[in-house]
Amino acid sequence: MALFEVFQTTFFLTLLSLRTYQSEVLAERVPLTPVSLKVSTNSARQSLHLQWTVQNLPYHQELKMVFQIQISRIETSNVIWVGNYSTTVKWNQVLHWSWESELPLECATHFVRIKSVVDDARFPEPNFWSNWSSWEEVSGKETSTERLKKPCKVTTPLSVQDSLGQDILFVFPKDKLVEEGANVTICYISRNIQNNVSCYWEGKQIYGEQLDPHVSVFHLSSVPFIRKTGADMYCEVSQGNVSTSIKGIVLFVSKVLEEPKDFSCETRDFKTLHCTWDPGVDTALGWSKQPSQSYTLFESFSGEKKLCTHQNWCNWQITQDSQETYNFTLIAENYLRKRSVNILFNLTHQVYPMNPFSVNFENVNATNAIMTWKVYSVKNNFTYLCQIEVYCEGKMKQQYNVSIKMNGEYFLSDLEPFTEYMARVRCAGASHFWKWSQWSGQNFTTLEAAPSEAPDVWRNVNSEPGSHIVTLFWKPLSKLHANGKILFYNVVVENLDKPSKSELHSVPAPAKSTKLTLDRHSYEIWVTANNSVGASPASIIVISADPENQEVEEERIADTEGRFSLSWKPQPGDVVGYVVDWCDHPQYTLCDLQWKNVGPNATSTVISTDAFRPGVRYNFRIYGLSTKRIACLLEKKTGYSQELAPSDNPHMLVDKLTSHSFTLSWKYYSTESQPGFIQGYHVYLKSKARQCHPRFERAVLTDGSECCKYKIDNPEEKALIVDNLKPKSVYEIFVTPFTSAGEGPNATFTKVTTPDEHSSMLIYILLPMSFCVLLIMIGCYLKSQWIKETCYPDIPDPYKSSILSLIKFKEKPHLTIMNVSDCIPDAIEVVSKPEGTKIQFRKSLTETELTKPNYLYLLPTEKNHSGPVPFICFENLTYNQATSDSGSCGHVPVPMKPPPSQLGLMISPENVKKALGKNYMNSLGEISAGGTNLNYVSQLASPMSGDKDSLPTNPVEPSNCSEYKRQMAVPLCLASPPLTENSSLSSITLLNPGEHYR
Amino acid sequence: MDLRAGDSWGMLACLCTVLWHLPAVPALNRTGDLGPGPSIQKTYDLTRYLEHQLRSLAGTYLNYLGPPFNEPDFNPPRLGAETLPRATVDLEVWRSLNDKLRLTQNYEAYSHLLCYLRGLNRQAATAELRRSLAHFCTSLQGLLGSIAGVMAALGYPLPQPLPGTEPTWTPGPAHSDFLQKMDDFWLLKELQTWLWRSAKDFNRLKKKMQPPAAAVTLHLGAHGF
Repeated sequence: MALFEVFQTTFFLTLLSLRTYQSEVLAERVPLTPVSLKVSTNSARQSLHLQWTVQNLPYHQELKMVFQIQISRIETSNVIWVGNYSTTVKWNQVLHWSWESELPLECATHFVRIKSVVDDARFPEPNFWSNWSSWEEVSGKETSTERLKKPCKVTTPLSVQDSLGQDILFVFPKDKLVEEGANVTICYISRNIQNNVSCYWEGKQIYGEQLDPHVSVFHLSSVPFIRKTGADMYCEVSQGNVSTSIKGIVLFVSKVLEEPKDFSCETRDFKTLHCTWDPGVDTALGWSKQPSQSYTLFESFSGEKKLCTHQNWCNWQITQDSQETYNFTLIAENYLRKRSVNILFNLTHQVYPMNPFSVNFENVNATNAIMTWKVYSVKNNFTYLCQIEVYCEGKMKQQYNVSIKMNGEYFLSDLEPFTEYMARVRCAGASHFWKWSQWSGQNFTTLEAAPSEAPDVWRNVNSEPGSHIVTLFWKPLSKLHANGKILFYNVVVENLDKPSKSELHSVPAPAKSTKLTLDRHSYEIWVTANNSVGASPASIIVISADPENQEVEEERIADTEGRFSLSWKPQPGDVVGYVVDWCDHPQYTLCDLQWKNVGPNATSTVISTDAFRPGVRYNFRIYGLSTKRIACLLEKKTGYSQELAPSDNPHMLVDKLTSHSFTLSWKYYSTESQPGFIQGYHVYLKSKARQCHPRFERAVLTDGSECCKYKIDNPEEKALIVDNLKPKSVYEIFVTPFTSAGEGPNATFTKVTTPDEHSSMLIYILLPMSFCVLLIMIGCYLKSQWIKETCYPDIPDPYKSSILSLIKFKEKPHLTIMNVSDCIPDAIEVVSKPEGTKIQFRKSLTETELTKPNYLYLLPTEKNHSGPVPFICFENLTYNQATSDSGSCGHVPVPMKPPPSQLGLMISPENVKKALGKNYMNSLGEISAGGTNLNYVSQLASPMSGDKDSLPTNPVEPSNCSEYKRQMAVPLCLASPPLTENSSLSSITLLNPGEHYR
Repeated sequence: MDLRAGDSWGMLACLCTVLWHLPAVPALNRTGDLGPGPSIQKTYDLTRYLEHQLRSLAGTYLNYLGPPFNEPDFNPPRLGAETLPRATVDLEVWRSLNDKLRLTQNYEAYSHLLCYLRGLNRQAATAELRRSLAHFCTSLQGLLGSIAGVMAALGYPLPQPLPGTEPTWTPGPAHSDFLQKMDDFWLLKELQTWLWRSAKDFNRLKKKMQPPAAAVTLHLGAHGF
């Protein structure tokens, strides 16, 4: 009760004091004026800091008030900002308020004033604003005085100069750190308004707005990040082209700090939490302006904090085993910004297990195995979910999931025998999946089993007299069916026609064929493949006693570009299937027989292998397999996977050549061994005739020349008669085969010349005539005596003379022939005959030596000749008659002493010719001038005639002056004139031999 | 270990330093009959190599600073960077200097420049740039040693820094970043000018130290008899 009375008393007293205060204020109406206003600046933050107190505030009273602040720039009337600041004011409280300027404070003088008003609910309206405080001036220049400090200080007697105090140019703010995308205002202050100031931002000139005559302002909006060393803005004062002062700032633009992404924490051992995140861009700047952002981990439940040393991960030690839930805050921070992300999690939900270990396989057999492994125990009763994958040849075959505590075990079944597997396992927390561990794996191989399938067997039968040569072929079993390594093949042969013991042939692997010689009985053959465990099912084939029917017509199949589509007529009767066989390499002896099994209902199949080559002819045989496993040849097909043009041209023979036709043939050309089906031949014919022959058409060859072409469509027609040709003409001809892919290679044309049309006729006439003439000649020879006597006797019989009969008949019919005996001769005249002349000539020559007849001295006698030389002078009977009486040879005297050398030259016939040539012109001249006659000098055979180059020093003695050679006309002066250099040999042709002999 | 061509040059520079200091060792000084000629030649060669090396380094570093410092026609007035030793000197003044003064000026200049260069290295943001700068500093250290060797060979004393005037790197609060960039710019520029000037100095000294041709002829003649 007493306590209640004390409380009631206190309440009333408080109420009383409040009423008293209210009555005082209202009664006095004293304004609460802000006083003691002080303004300071923060140059780096470009902020004005105001502090003031409120006057007339009652003691120990609190009052809500509003302060209005005005800020002017340059002059008080230029108000740039007005704002209110509301706060609760206590008695004697110093109030603080800051204002950030976009313009560096150094750029202009600022003025600040403040007024206030009470804004308290306890004091109803009306309230009045106080008076403005006086303007407080903040001079820009005051903020700009700062000393430079050099990194390398040299302590010298002179102290460091205060550079700004003497400078003529200032740029503000000094250096600034902003975030990418910020707006920045820069100004320069020029001490002298006359200065020519240019400003540049990143090397490009910029233009600002003039704040006053000394100050210009530049607004850079949304500045980008340029480089870590900052972007430069500078101004320079220049006089003419010379820069006198330069000032600038480096604007450090930081990239915007990003919120960490993908923040998560996990544990592997329940002892350490590993937290990771993607930090985003690095906001570090050069010159230590801003280091890379820092990261701090804060856990709210424990209240612990850790500064991370790495940019993208941090480890947190788990100290309390009981704490299961964690609330982490990751704080990223740089000088400009702070960002954070938060995660809340249960520790058991964030388990990233350690990798499983000790992976092993137990009880491995052909088709199954037991896989075991272990995991690290991290916490009691912690359950893992493990995943098992089984791989074979790089492909995943099986996948299982299994829950375990510590030791894992799993039974792997449905495995293939004799196969290498790789099994691997990984684990994760079973209660809450967070992350799989890494895989741990091991290889193992299952054991062998007997081959599961019979080998695919085919045969080739060659029938010989009294036996069959059977070649068995089989394909190796696939790995899937071999179930192990095939060691050998067993071939069991049983005679079906007569009971006998079966024969076993064991063929070691990897053989794929074997040859059997069987007699002319039916045989059943079993073939099995065997590995170390057992044998495969048998493949059965029956060889009929009858020889294989080869009389099946071969059918061509079309060009199918690497694939052969085969179809056949269904076999009447029961067939268990069809087999198509062919050779992959038909051009070789070991042709690599291939076969394909086709079901009993199929009547077509497509054969396609990589072995098919263009231009190779493949032969396919289609067999039907009866229920008794006997193969019967049904059809044969042949074709090319791709036809090519013929590789060679036929060797062409020209036959039966006449003046109007000839026959071409190429009968030895094989159409079977060509790289395509020969469809026919093209015969090209070139001739001078413009028109093509009938059946030929005009064609243009690859070299552009024109010719005539004849097409033969039958490949077996290997001859052509080319007719309607012109006699004695040249024809060029060329034959080339063609397939669907084109013609054979280009080759040279063969020339054929047709003979003359009349030549044969002449032969027909001339041969008999020649024969007749020959007969006559033989007859004449045999009867020559008779003919001589008849036609031209040595002493003609006047009585037999025809003249006599003629005279007798026409004029004097009674004329008689006078007999020699009837005449008395008084004189005998000898008639000269050629033989007689010769004799007479020799005789007279002999006489001249005795009688010293007139002769011609051909050459003079020289001093060195001791005696007279027996010069021979041939008496010219024709011309000597007139002069013989005068004692000379009838010659005009010639100069007696010609030079010996010249003489020698003249003796040689060659030299005579030369002399004739050389002196001909002169000789002519002399002849005409002297008016002399021609002398005729006999030409002697010179012993020196064979030596043309050597000139004899002595005149040659024609010792055997026995043969009269030939007389030539020589001018008289021939021997006397000297040889001149300009004489010409050609002039000899002017002497016509015919003129010499007159 | 990855050894580059530049590294081998650096080692060469260090080797040169050691070699040039050898004549100063009294026990070994007796064998130095060849005179200072070869050492001047080697110093000259090292200077030319540094010129070449600086061309590549300056390109990289100025690109790192960005425009306008990497612009070829950027030629600001030399404001600030007052403590950098100036390489430019009036031609007449330069000609009037004697060998000792020249060598002393070279030595002092490179001592200062090396200090500033090491400061540059500490600030570089990229590892590659730091590696290049460190390599250049090693080479420059070698040049300094070479000059000291030449001075010793010529019998000139090394300039002793006054107590307290040893240039040291003080990483204290930096002045304007722009001015700092400007300092770096001028540092590289002065280095370039100093190397050019040194090459001329050493070339001149080399020619001066060559023995006269007549003496060589006489020597050869005497040898022949």
